[in-house]
Amino acid sequence: MKQQTATFRFALPSPPHWAVRLDVAQPPRAGQYVLAECGGPLREALFPADVDADGFTALTPRGHPITRLLPGASVDLLGPLGNGFRLDRVQRLLLIAEADKLSVLRPLLNAAPAVTLVVEGPTRARMPAPDSLPPAVELLLVTLDGSVGYLGPLESQEPAPAGQERIGPLLAELIAWTEWLCLACRRERYPALAGLVRQARLQPTAHFAQALVHTEMPCGVGACDVCRIPTRHGEKHVCTDGPVFDLLEIGNE
Amino acid sequence: MIELAPTHKYGLSLPTPVMPAAGVFGYGDVYRDLLEEGVLGALVTNPISLRPRNVAQGQRILTRGEQVLLHTGLPNAGAKAILRQYGKYWERSPVPVIPHLVATTPAETSKAAVLLSAARGVGGIELGLAENVSEDKAVELLHAAQDSGLPLIVQVPFSRVDALAPRLVEAGADALTLTAPPRAVLPLPDAPEDKAESGTRLMRGRLYGPAVFPLLLNVLARFAAPGANQLHVPIIACGGVASPADALTCISLGAAAVQVDVLVWRTPGVLREIAAAFKAL
Ligand code: FES
Repeated sequence: MKQQTATFRFALPSPPHWAVRLDVAQPPRAGQYVLAECGGPLREALFPADVDADGFTALTPRGHPITRLLPGASVDLLGPLGNGFRLDRVQRLLLIAEADKLSVLRPLLNAAPAVTLVVEGPTRARMPAPDSLPPAVELLLVTLDGSVGYLGPLESQEPAPAGQERIGPLLAELIAWTEWLCLACRRERYPALAGLVRQARLQPTAHFAQALVHTEMPCGVGACDVCRIPTRHGEKHVCTDGPVFDLLEIGNE
Repeated sequence: MIELAPTHKYGLSLPTPVMPAAGVFGYGDVYRDLLEEGVLGALVTNPISLRPRNVAQGQRILTRGEQVLLHTGLPNAGAKAILRQYGKYWERSPVPVIPHLVATTPAETSKAAVLLSAARGVGGIELGLAENVSEDKAVELLHAAQDSGLPLIVQVPFSRVDALAPRLVEAGADALTLTAPPRAVLPLPDAPEDKAESGTRLMRGRLYGPAVFPLLLNVLARFAAPGANQLHVPIIACGGVASPADALTCISLGAAAVQVDVLVWRTPGVLREIAAAFKAL
């Protein structure tokens, strides 16, 4: 673990988030994070939505304390921390995210020649703007109210009402097609999503499906035990054993 | 050198009177990249119980202003597993290791204390008591933990200092940590007001942060300050210590040493700064 000083460049509205740019010598990779000292009692976890050699951009909620800094301000960071997504010579990549968690998968949008992104959200207005994604990415939308795309939720086995369609059969095909699957959803969704993977692939290799777990991470080093979650192999720390886990490891509760 | 167990046959000498509080520093070397070995006076571990304990369900941490409310359920892998994982590190530790033992039943407490005391590097045990423990039970648990044969520090629940501290000293505690974090309640942030009032959307837990520091000083002024010390054992001050100046204030009020709590997560270097301030005295 490193402690490093970043330079805050800007915070710009990027609805529904704010895009925050930090220049730093060692930026986090996709799925890793840094803990930024922003003046509160605890550090704030920042995940990269875009990474380059000079730093990274994070998408934060409106009003996040880091958005109040002035350009040029120094920010004390712990990290990069944790285990991020691990993809090896990938040609076909499937990404699945809840709309408000999509930002952590954004660094993977160019990670393969063929990327399919499935986004689930409550309604059309919460979906990412297509022009915010690389043109080569195939985007599939799932809404809980059916206002656009397939009718959610993703894992539903219920028949769809007339005029609407579930994504289930297509999702099974996509899981069979892809070489790697990366997910960013609430943790309680993962058991059902792990079930879909098991149905669609007979013997998925270890880390075929990689799921990022969002939780509070006050210390980032395994000291506080706030971030412990149950897994197939006992409780683990999201901050150091994750935040990216093998879906089948955590989707078994 | 600071002596925390002056009447114990082994004693418990610390090179400097600063250490992390239980629950903030893990069991060993998680801060190895940020704090050089030997900065601390002792390593107080995260809570350890005889049997494994799972993490609490639901919300575990909440902030309000500068205050932090924490409820983890004292999760740990159990004394044996922790010894397997960290025993080697404790053996090499340049400073005494003080496992924080969660008092459960007297039998379990005794067993765990004996197990932990067998590890080389362990210089003493800090016993953590439940907030609602009776005075008699507290003494019984203290005697159980004394089966370790090592110096015994008891961390006294914040609301029970008057009732418990004198009894624990009388029963043979070598030192007291004053205090465990106060218990507190906060409404969960997205709770509608009416629900918060009905108690259905509240979080209970241990309170940390700068608001605790004046409460700590009040306890020290009453129980540790020169002329007021009714306890006659070394007192370790714990609660909201945030700077070298805070630490020195605790010492001026009769504390023999200080523990730093959740501030370590934001600013691990505060331990180094406090140690440096003591060195400069
Ligand atoms: S964030 Fe503290 S143990 Fe994981």
